[in-house]
Amino acid sequence: MAYELTAEGFLSSAKAFIETSNLLHDDWILYENLDICKSYIQKNTFINVKGQLFKTEFVIFYHLSYGVPTFSFNIWDSTGTILNLEDIRKISFTEINQKDFYSVITQQEHPVLCRPFFIMHPCHTYQLLSSLSESKNIIVTFLGLITPLINLQLSSKYGL
Amino acid sequence: MANDREVLREIWDGKLPVCFQLDQEEIMEIQQPDPFYVMVPRLSYFPLVIDKMKRHFLRYISQENADNEMWMDYNGQPLKWHYPIGFLYDLYCGNDPQTPWTLTVHFSKFPGNILLHCPNKDVVEAHYMSTVKEADVLKHRGQIMSAMQKKDHNQLWLGLQNDKFDQFWAINRRLMESHGDNDGFKHIPIRIYAEDGTCTQRLISPKNIDGSRKIIQQLITELYPEKPVKLRTHGITIPLDTPLQWLSEHLSYPDNFLHICVC
Repeated sequence: MAYELTAEGFLSSAKAFIETSNLLHDDWILYENLDICKSYIQKNTFINVKGQLFKTEFVIFYHLSYGVPTFSFNIWDSTGTILNLEDIRKISFTEINQKDFYSVITQQEHPVLCRPFFIMHPCHTYQLLSSLSESKNIIVTFLGLITPLINLQLSSKYGL
Repeated sequence: MANDREVLREIWDGKLPVCFQLDQEEIMEIQQPDPFYVMVPRLSYFPLVIDKMKRHFLRYISQENADNEMWMDYNGQPLKWHYPIGFLYDLYCGNDPQTPWTLTVHFSKFPGNILLHCPNKDVVEAHYMSTVKEADVLKHRGQIMSAMQKKDHNQLWLGLQNDKFDQFWAINRRLMESHGDNDGFKHIPIRIYAEDGTCTQRLISPKNIDGSRKIIQQLITELYPEKPVKLRTHGITIPLDTPLQWLSEHLSYPDNFLHICVC
């Protein structure tokens, strides 16, 4: 129950994660901010789903209220149109019904980047991370939890 | 707990006169539509108060735009529906009040890089409830919201949506209580916005290190050590000796956050 992650703890996990990412040429980038609560890591890439190409931006940031890492993203199709939540559900990695999907992901104003993003609700993360024992890197553990929902193609070399 | 009922009532009853005008580019009829005037509660959200306005303008626009998502701007600044109306007014008009507040209505060119989509009122409800939940995480580690029943959550939302003070406060008072021997919230749910709309959120305790009540003056010194600023909410410049705990209990918006503008 007493799961606590500080902004400093998040930042040091993020730095360790970026080191691994660099070794694997995985293109995650750390954006450090003077305001430590606003540091985040980001990866812009293309994904191929059922023969269709999409541009994606993935951002992992520290959610100040919940004290957890939080996953956020945007996806554009090849015409440059940003996908809505229903489009995203259809290209999700696993079959998931509308109600469950919508209860986990909603469009919100990004607390750090201040523009619309799809954000995974941090309250679920809090419950999940509270139920797990100590992990080597909280960001890796966290990504392991969410990959079933979002097709992230995370290498097992991160130590999942 | 929130005891100054007169203050709560005064804040709840705050209203703004708004004048909606249809963007000239949208008008497809020879006859110009009249502007649409309405008094709106400061604590509400735009999607909850604009049904009539939308119907008023619909017959003047191109029919191919009729099913598009409507949006509004003030002086070219798109208005974010997910913030309370009174906060948006304070942010954009606080230094130079104008009434009625004149806004321009659009049915095309939705600025999706700035505004969240709002296809229906369920989206507003979901956004509202998740904000209340977040505030409760800050105040009571989320324990009050998770102990409440679904019908209590509904009552909060319906109280706000239907402008029913008693219905809303019957539930909201539980969210405004502090527990145990510790007189005050764990953290104060507070968001402070600069004039450009960028937001600062910090973990703010209602107490100083020595256990005394933290007042606005001390918060300002903590956040803005270089130059003193004034803070405004609900159209009021907050007196410097206001305790943060009292402010949170009485001047929070229905989403349980203090939304404050730097001025």
